[in-house]
Parts: sequence; C-alpha cells; structure tokens
Amino acid sequence: MFKATKALAALTAGLLALSACGGGGDKGSSSKELKLWHYETADSAMGVAWNQAIKEFEQTHPGVKVKFEEKGFEQIQKTAPMVLNSKDAPDILEYNKGNATAGLLSKQGLLTDISSEVTKRGWDKMLPANVAETAKYDAKGIMGGDKWYGVPNYAEYLQVYYNKALFDKYGVKVPTTFDEFTKAMDTFAGKGVTPLSNAGAEYPAQQYLYQLALSKADRPWVDRFERYTGKTDFHDQAWTYAANTFADWVKKGYIAKNSSGIKAEDAGTAFMAGKFPMFFSGSWWYGRFEKEIKSFQWDTFLWPGSKMTLGSSGNLWVVPKGSKNKDLAYDFINITMKKEIQNTLANNGGVPVAGDPAGVTDPKNKKLIENYQTLANSDGLGFYPDWPAPGYYDVLVAGTQKLITGTASPSSVLDGFAKPYNENLSNIGH
Amino acid sequence: MTSISAAARRPRPAAHRRTPGAWAVLVSLAVLAVVMLLPFVIITFNAFKSPAEYSSHGPLSVPKGFYLQGIKDFWERVDFGAKLVNSLIISGSVAVLAVILSVLNSYALGIGRIKGRVWILVLFLLANTMPQEVLVYPLYFMSKKVGLYDTRLSIIIIFTAIQTAFGTYLLSSVLSTFPREILEAARMDGAGRFRILWRVVVPISRPTLGVLFVFFFIWTWNEFFLPMIFLISNENQTVPVALGVLQGQKLMDATMTSASALLGIIPAVVFFLIFQRTLTRGITVGAVK
Amino acid sequence: MTQTLSAPPVEAVHKPTRRPRRGLPYSVYLIPSTVLFIGVILVPFVMNIGFSLTKWDGIGSPQWVGLDNYTKLMSDGAFWSSFAHNVALVIAMAIIPLMIGLVLASVLFDVIAKRFGPRTTAILRACIYLPQVLPFAVAGIVWAWILAPENGALNAVLKAVGLKSLQEDWLGDPKLALYTVMGVLVWVQIGFPLVVFMAGLQRVDPSLYEAADIDGASWWRKFWYITIPQIRPEIYVVLLTCTVAAIKSFDKVFILTKGGPGGATNVPAYYSYQNFFEKTQVGYGAAIATVLTLIIVVVMAVLVSRQNKAEEADR
Repeated sequence: MFKATKALAALTAGLLALSACGGGGDKGSSSKELKLWHYETADSAMGVAWNQAIKEFEQTHPGVKVKFEEKGFEQIQKTAPMVLNSKDAPDILEYNKGNATAGLLSKQGLLTDISSEVTKRGWDKMLPANVAETAKYDAKGIMGGDKWYGVPNYAEYLQVYYNKALFDKYGVKVPTTFDEFTKAMDTFAGKGVTPLSNAGAEYPAQQYLYQLALSKADRPWVDRFERYTGKTDFHDQAWTYAANTFADWVKKGYIAKNSSGIKAEDAGTAFMAGKFPMFFSGSWWYGRFEKEIKSFQWDTFLWPGSKMTLGSSGNLWVVPKGSKNKDLAYDFINITMKKEIQNTLANNGGVPVAGDPAGVTDPKNKKLIENYQTLANSDGLGFYPDWPAPGYYDVLVAGTQKLITGTASPSSVLDGFAKPYNENLSNIGH
Repeated sequence: MTSISAAARRPRPAAHRRTPGAWAVLVSLAVLAVVMLLPFVIITFNAFKSPAEYSSHGPLSVPKGFYLQGIKDFWERVDFGAKLVNSLIISGSVAVLAVILSVLNSYALGIGRIKGRVWILVLFLLANTMPQEVLVYPLYFMSKKVGLYDTRLSIIIIFTAIQTAFGTYLLSSVLSTFPREILEAARMDGAGRFRILWRVVVPISRPTLGVLFVFFFIWTWNEFFLPMIFLISNENQTVPVALGVLQGQKLMDATMTSASALLGIIPAVVFFLIFQRTLTRGITVGAVK
Repeated sequence: MTQTLSAPPVEAVHKPTRRPRRGLPYSVYLIPSTVLFIGVILVPFVMNIGFSLTKWDGIGSPQWVGLDNYTKLMSDGAFWSSFAHNVALVIAMAIIPLMIGLVLASVLFDVIAKRFGPRTTAILRACIYLPQVLPFAVAGIVWAWILAPENGALNAVLKAVGLKSLQEDWLGDPKLALYTVMGVLVWVQIGFPLVVFMAGLQRVDPSLYEAADIDGASWWRKFWYITIPQIRPEIYVVLLTCTVAAIKSFDKVFILTKGGPGGATNVPAYYSYQNFFEKTQVGYGAAIATVLTLIIVVVMAVLVSRQNKAEEADR
C-alpha cells in the first residue's frame, strides 16, 4: 500500500513539474520571430494563400521565423480580449470584422491604429470603399469610422447555388428576374420538391430574410441599421415585406416547414447530396462544393432583382497593441496583399479583395471574382443582419424559427427583433 | 487485506441459476446497450468516410472503404500526440490530487463529524453550484498576477478544486454510514486517527474511491470551456480544445470531426476499461467484520 | 502532504498500547482543501459579486452602477420564465436517470453478476456508461443526424417498421423539441448514477441479501427494503449533483437546439454565459450568475440538511 502511495506521489510530483513549465521555451533566443495566429483550415483558399505568404515572408526576411499557430474559431472569439491584454499576445492575428468583434477590441484599446501604415503602403487604394468600411472604426468601435484597425485580405458574399441536373429534370431555366425566380420555385414546389435548402437553427434562415429586406432597401437604410446613422424602423416597408414574404414562402413550400431545427452544415450537405435544387449561401461554401460535388453540375447566380446582397470584406488582419514586432506584421500584411498571393487565393476558390480576374484560370472561379467586383464597385454589399448588436445572431435565429414553425406572426417577430436592437443602442449610448 | 468479492466467495445456490426470466433480463439489457452505442456506430462510420463520400451520401450511409486520410491529417495538423500528453498530465494529476483531498475532507466531515459540517459542505459545494463562467475573469487576473496564465498547472489547480467538491460530498455521505464498530475496534487496538484512515477507511472505501478516480479523470479529460480560456498556446492545449479547430466560423468538417472524436475518446475509454476493475474489486464491509 | 506519508510504523498495531492514541484533530484534514477553495472558488465568487455592481466589458476599469444590474434582472421576464424549462431538465438529467440507474444497477448487481458472471456485467456497464465519455459537442452533431426530419435515422427506422405516422420533426417542432432534448439528456446521463450505485452496492453486507433469500423475498422486496436504504447516501449525492448540474448547465441544450425553436428550449444559465461572452456585458452577466448561484445554493442547502437529518435519524 505504502509503496503504491509513494509511486503515486512521485508520479503526481513529476506531472506537476512537467505542467508548470508552460508556454514554451522561446525566451532567450536572439533570432526574431513573428507570432501569427489564424483560424482558416490549411486546405481552404485562405489557408493555402497565407501559407504561401508565410514562405515568402521567411524568404524576404532572413533570420526571422514565422511561428504560426492554427486556432479554433471559438477560442479566438471568446478569449481575444484576455489574450491581447496579456504578454502572450501574438504579433498579428486574423480577427472577425464588425462592431461586436474588431470594433469592441479597438474601443478597448487592444488594437493598433494602423491608419498611417495603410496610406503609406497604399492598401487603401486597393480596397473599394464598400469593403474598407468594415476595417475602419470610430472611437465608439462602430464600423465606417475614421481610423483603420485592420486590413481585409479576402471578401465574401452570398449567391444562389443551383443544381443544373435538377433544373434540367424539371425544365426550369436559370432565373434572371425576381418573377422568374418565384416561378421557378413554384415549378419545383408543384412537383413536390422543396426548392430552397434552409437551416433554421443557424445563419441560413436569417440570411434569406435579410436578403428579402435588402431587395427593398438602399444604402442609407443599411447604414441606419448597421451603423446607427438614424433610427431603424422594424415595421418599415423593407422589413415588413421580408417577414411577410418569408412566412409566405414557408406556406407555399419554397422553404421547408421542418427546417427550423436544421444546422447550416446539414443544409449544405443536403444540397451537395442533390436533395435541393437551390441553396442561397456564402462564398465560403464555394471551394468545398467544387471539391466535393461529384454527382451533378452546379453553378451560381446572384439573387435576382436586388441591387444589394449580403456580403462584406472577409476577416481582418489586426495588429495587437502588445505586438512586439509591428513592422514585421505590416510587412506580412503587405505580402498577403500582393498580386501573386491574391491570385493564389482566387485560384483556390476564394474571393480576393485585390485580385485580377485575368490571372485566374478556371472560368467558374473567374465568375466568382467578377460577381464580387460588380457588387463591391456598385456599393452592393449589404453586410449581415447579426452585426448591429452583440448576441443578435441568437435573436434572429429565434425569430426566423418562429416564422418557419408558424408560432408567431411576421409582425410580432419584427417586434422581437426591435427590442434587443434598441436595448443595445441604449447600452452603447446612442 | 484479501480482496475477495462477495459473489465469488459463495457457491451458486438456487437463486443464481440462469432461469428464462434471467435470460430475458439479459437480452433486454443487451438491447439497451446497443441503443446506447448507436451514436458511436454513426461516428465510426463517418470517421472512415472521405469528405466527398460524406457529402454525396450523407452522414448515415455505411462507408464504402477505409478512408484513413482524415485521421492522419488531423493527427498531423494539431500535433495530436502532444495534445494527448497534455490531457494525460492534466487529467491524471487532477484525478490523483482530487481523490487525496476528497479522502482527507470526507474523513473529517463523514467520520470526524466535526461541528458545522453541513455548512462546510455547502461551502465546498459552491464549486459545483457556481456557473463556470464566474471563474473566468477573476481567475484570469489572478493567474496573470502569479504567472500561471497559459500554463497547464493553472488548469490542474482549478479542476482539482472543482472535482474535490464533488468527491468530498460523495465520500463524506458514504463515510457517514461507516460502521462505528469497526472504527471502535481499530481505536481499541491503539490506532491513531491517521492510521485508521489509511488502514481501515481507505481500503473499505476502495470501490467508491475507484469511482471518484475514474470520474475525475474522465470529467477533466472532457472539459472544454476553462481549458479553452486558460490554455492559449497550442503547445499547452488539451484534446477537446484541439478538436475545436474543426468547428469553423461557418463551416465544419464532419468527417474529420468524427475521426478526431474517435481518437479523442479512445484514451478515456481505455482508461475506463482499465479502472473498471477497481469499481468491482473491493472489500465489502461484511467481509471485514 | 509530506506529513501524510510519514505514518506510524506497521508494528504499532499489534502492540497493545496503554491509551488509545488520537492524533491530530479532524479539522486539520480540511486545511489543504480550505486553502485551495478560498483561492480558486471563494475569492472569485466574491470578486464576481463585486463585478455585478458595475458596468464593465471585461477590460479596463469597471464603472460602478450599484444595484442597477439586479433591478434590470428582476424585471427581465424572459429570464424568469425560462426557469420553467429547468424543471424539464431536472427531470431529464436527475430524476429519470436516477430511477433508471437504480433499477439497472440493482439488476446488474443482483441478477446479471450472479448468474452470468462479472465479465458480462462489466461489458454491459461499460456500454451504458460510454455516452458520458463522449464530448457533447460531438454527440450533439450525431444526434442532429439521427433526429433530422428528412433522412434522419430515427424517422427512417420508423418508416421502415411501418410507423410512418410517428415520424416527427424532433428538434424543430416547438411542441416536441423540449421532450427530444430531454430524451437525449437521459441517454447522456444514465451511466453516471449506474456506476455510482453499483459501487455503492459493493458496500452492502451480502448477508442481508442471503437472509432475505432464505426468507424467500421477491426481487422487488429486496430492491425496496435492502438496496435502496443501503445506498441512500449515493442516491442523495446523485440527486443533488445532477439537479445542480441541470439548473446551471446550458451547453448541452444549446448544442442541440440553440435554445430554439423560437426560445422553446431556452434556459436561464444561458443568459449569464451570453452576457459574459457574447455581449461582453460582464457586469450584467455577473449579476445573473450571482442570482443563479444563490438560487442553486438554497436548493442545495435544503437537500443537504435533509440528508443530514435522515442520517442522524438512522444512527
């Protein structure tokens, strides 16, 4: 017995000694190191492009090692303020754009104001104003401000992915107007096929709803909603139309009544398995669809009859206040903005912010970039509905679920959207 | 100190025959076991599917081949071997320390029956009743001050405290029913308090201590939230935190998640199966008498 | 800790001593844990109460607001009404697993172990315990596949056995979602009481069962008059810890339904988490957490003192 105890005690002591030596033995080395964090998977467009950028950086900066760590998205989201407020902060990291994320960190004084660097290196000239809006924040941390706190490297926007085989089978043509779009959905619904893949438990449902609103809205409407430049009326024409139409589409069977509990992953997988003719979602699916859909041909079109669609810059490169190698961080950002890296991004199914369609070989990839450029240059990126207030995503999920299950009227769902929105306004002192 | 289980000691009387009724019970339990395992079967299916096969045939189809690339890629991508070592160090230390502390506490509360024990217990149980997020900010500032932020030791200390609360409660409840005669006999033999604890109480409570050890290990193994907050560097991370890289912002990787989940639970299952023996092999009070 | 290892030599037992030696007072055994608890649990709890009196986003200096957060919480109807869902969670995570666990433990111990041997018992127990080992984030993904309305495994099975009318939108129907969540929670939870109870049954004096067998007592009588009273401590512990876990946890529900559809499965514990980490309203989150903790402590104190009275009565 006693022997066992001693062994156990020794084991514990050993384990504890091991565990005490924490965050790596990186002290005392004379060579420089750029500590870089991001949360894109290695085989995604961003992962591939940024990996190439790291290699190029190490080539052009002899003696500097890039210490890259792949992080989980949730870990960065939940712990960023704490990490950045400690001596363990990285030198540069990818971070989410928006008021509740990059805006909050900038307001808390945890990010470096990189405005002078942006003009010096000419990044501002590479980014359309519509895209740059999410990289600039004001003193209250609201986007569209005067100071740059990050630089986006890629963009994202939503479009309708469609299954060519199913379109052919039911004799449906690719719609170019909203009327044709509804007619197409009617045809499918009439044959017992639900036209739109939807996920009520996650972001897809609210993106359908917001797209409907955007199709009746203009830029000042978006600014009021996202940047608090004026009062948002949740019973205005755009919101009312969106909620009513959404409820109507559920009734007509364009959106499945039993989609309220579905997750985004399963909605996307269902489309890939050929169970739905259409799926309205983001360019983040593009690379995966291209790689994994083998059994049918597919293509995309922008939401018919709308000047604006959901989309924005991608996540930002931000430089923490506590970064020990700010100049190296700027050099790294500069490399990722170069044409070669941007084109690598494009050729892997990403949407580069400063890409050149001429350098892209695949015609489908080319179209992806051209569509983006059309939107960005016509001020057509309408952002996302969950941005205006922290925790608003859950509010929108709950509201759209009620529309799907029919447990609340469109008007009372809109009331449900208004309350937390206005609470947030009073919280941040607007 | 023989450890003969009560069942093995006795011959097989009439009550222990395999009657049709007993078979019926066995069959229904087997059915229940299969139902319990169903989700694991589905995980295993997807662990061995290629992403393309998963996408075109959905999550419930039987895999057509053995696709091992997902497991291999994941292993390399997160340096899984290192995460296993971290998880073992953390869970092992917590399990050992928390069992020792639980024994000490419950000896005082359950057998010593010291004054105010109900209130002491309630205070300890605060560790279980508090939502974990309460600990985040205070412990963040405290650990930064003493230089423990982003160390495995910080997680060991936190979970030793949390697990000890449960251990103290379970064990002191069990010990409060401890037969007084046995304690009295030991005392008559001249044994001091510590000796009674070590030579009488601990051996007799072995099945319960085994339960605590297994629970502490597995609970700590599966903890996600606090390790995610306190283990920032990749080299300090545990298995569940490493699994987190597969849940993207808008996408997740279902096949690799299945593969990695399978990898992640193997150590815990092995641990349970090894220590399962301590759950049954103990001295019953009756045998000591 | 070094002191615990330097125990008296073994021979001392056999030498009859003049006076029984007592050793250190019992309270000394509590010292290591007390130090640990003050540092890791009590100080953070007090600090949290401090935070709850401020408006603070987690970084920088908090702004004193007095009891504002509490008055705001008192008038938050959604928070209080979501407590109703907690009742369902307590049933699913504490009461049902406790009852099933009791019966299973007793059957495994009394019927299977005696007639089919310890190995069969061990395998069955391991299978039933296994869900406890799986991280719930992964279990949640799998259950979503099983319960999916189209092409889900459960609906497919129902269709295959000709019970098409029983097919449902298990997680998406607001009338059903809470029950579905309860079912999944039972699946997760029953392994825990089973293992605790089986260990508890090891302590029971086998002569009690032998005597009952000689008297020709039925299985149910033995279950009711021997098993349950003998492992009463374990029953209390399981009941209390599972009840506490059911009130304070939200993660499992959120992985399955995110509180939906339309708030049909929302629970109060999520409000605190959401304010801490999604809205970064740390002050308000701290107030919710404090209130939640106090409510749970009251529930717990009632249960513990009841248990203590029952123990006293037993002696």
